[in-house]
Amino acid sequence: MDTNIVEIINVTREVAWLPWAVQYFFLIGLSVGGVLLSLPGYAFANDEWRKLGRVGLLVALTCGLAAPVALLSDLHQPGRFWHFYAVFRPTSWMWWGSLIIPFYVTGLLVYAWTCFREELQEHGRVDSHLATLYRLAALGGGRDDRLIRYAGLVVLAGAVLVALYTGAEVAVVKARPLWHTPFLPVQFLTTALVGAAGLVLILNRFAADHDLAVEARANRLLAGFLGAVMAVGGLWLAFGLFGIDRTHTEALEGVANSEAWRVTAVWAVLATVAPFVIAVAKPVGTGLLTGLIAVHSAWMFRWTVFIGGQTVPKTGAGFYEYALPAGPDGLLGIIGTAGLWLFLLLVITAVLPTPARSAPRPVRAAHAADRTMAAAE
Amino acid sequence: MDQSRRNFCRGIGAATVGAATLAATPGEAAAGPRKGGDAAHRWAMVVDVRKCVGCQACTVACIMENDVPENSFRTIVSTYEVTEQGKTGSYMLPRLCNHCEDAPCIPVCPTGATYQRKDGIVVVDNTVCVGCAYCVQACPYDARFINHETQTADKCTFCVHRVDAGLLPACVETCVGGARIFGDLKDPDSTVSRLVREQDPKVLKPEQGTQPRVFYIGLDPKFQGKVDGTPTLWRPSAQPHVEAHVEKEHA
Repeated sequence: MDTNIVEIINVTREVAWLPWAVQYFFLIGLSVGGVLLSLPGYAFANDEWRKLGRVGLLVALTCGLAAPVALLSDLHQPGRFWHFYAVFRPTSWMWWGSLIIPFYVTGLLVYAWTCFREELQEHGRVDSHLATLYRLAALGGGRDDRLIRYAGLVVLAGAVLVALYTGAEVAVVKARPLWHTPFLPVQFLTTALVGAAGLVLILNRFAADHDLAVEARANRLLAGFLGAVMAVGGLWLAFGLFGIDRTHTEALEGVANSEAWRVTAVWAVLATVAPFVIAVAKPVGTGLLTGLIAVHSAWMFRWTVFIGGQTVPKTGAGFYEYALPAGPDGLLGIIGTAGLWLFLLLVITAVLPTPARSAPRPVRAAHAADRTMAAAE
Repeated sequence: MDQSRRNFCRGIGAATVGAATLAATPGEAAAGPRKGGDAAHRWAMVVDVRKCVGCQACTVACIMENDVPENSFRTIVSTYEVTEQGKTGSYMLPRLCNHCEDAPCIPVCPTGATYQRKDGIVVVDNTVCVGCAYCVQACPYDARFINHETQTADKCTFCVHRVDAGLLPACVETCVGGARIFGDLKDPDSTVSRLVREQDPKVLKPEQGTQPRVFYIGLDPKFQGKVDGTPTLWRPSAQPHVEAHVEKEHA
């Protein structure tokens, strides 16, 4: 029967998970990705991965330290955060998250210290006023691969738990078909790896010595991660399009008729395919471009999931409107989080500048330097 | 005094221990132990949409009774213009918290601020709530919101303070059409029990498995879930514009 329904009066529910949440899931995801990228070089002592691992560690540290601040800010009563720790609520993934986050961040700090200890020791040997502080920070030791491995395994466990809880926390929300999919945790992880590889490419340029071998490796990794994103995204789409699962069909039907969502989908596909093609075709010399697109793509995925997802009414017709507020609950929060991340990056790279001779394979590093010179000429 | 109010008072006076019309606690294991309230009752509401005239008196009464902040609603009468076979009419659907038997907002709460009383009423302790809004996401009915005066989760409580004092919820008290009927499901003689038994009322989004305890008589299946229609034309701050007019004409 041909029925036309026009909604005359209904309530508009504003988004309750704010852009702070987008920032948190973005930063913690990149941090997890950074940890995973650092493990081969540090925890598994593979020297070929060491330089990339160091940049990955910068990503993990800066993002991992900024993320909890964004999460705390997303609470409407941030001063009550201790309430999480005064109860036992195993049915809530968010409650588990309140335990996992400190475990992960503490593990990350210890792991980073074990990784940077060698550099702290080196700085302690230089004749400067700060040498004593560096020696103190190194606790009288240097590189200890066994210790790094143990700390690496602990932070790996933390990273896996973070990936699990952040994905499950959102995926269990049956009320939102767009979120209620087992693909979501995998999508969070793969896009986090994309973002982490992207940030490695950017920091390799600006916060490291622009090593071309690192760039090529990171670009190849990025291509692999983007491939995974496309595969999982394609599966999600197939589940919705071919009616394999009702929730996925509902999710797709809920947004398919919206022009804004269609534009977002095309944009997302372009932001995935374009860096993939560039990274595969020209892994050297394109790192900044692919890196920027990748970081943007990882952030946009979370923005679309959280803010876009909340504009889909659960009962009402059409979509809720959302306009980014200029204040702390909007633009200022996003800029503020980015500012905090930049501050952390400046502090860490000021305390631990890129080692001049950190390349484990000097011959290869020399080649890379030559190539850089040639490119500059 | 309307029929529903009389039944309610009689139910209170009887302090009934009658058999439950519906299972009381299937969701208890997942949601945690119930606390507060009287387990002898299971409060519920039946909404007869055939009687609702869309006057929004319930919406206003709720706001006044519960000091609901501006631009927030614990209940509202969703109103639709429906055109079928060339004929146009209105459809009213009062919405509120469904005080589900298996409420999805409870297990997700990381602090235990949201809980269910022994009488089935789902409440928020806003001295414990951290305002994480996880419950807002988990509610399939968009019944929850963040109260920006308390910065905590907020929702309909069936006017628990009034119920505990032997009064009806404000929306029921004020309903001019007698569309909202409140009562005790554990009292087999209550109006709600009888209506649930005899009228085969429907619930919103039954596929969610939440077992709502707000029932609807005369609920059109087209409005049982997410409504497939043209979104609301009303905007609080927008000027009336041509596009909206055209859409309405088209409808």
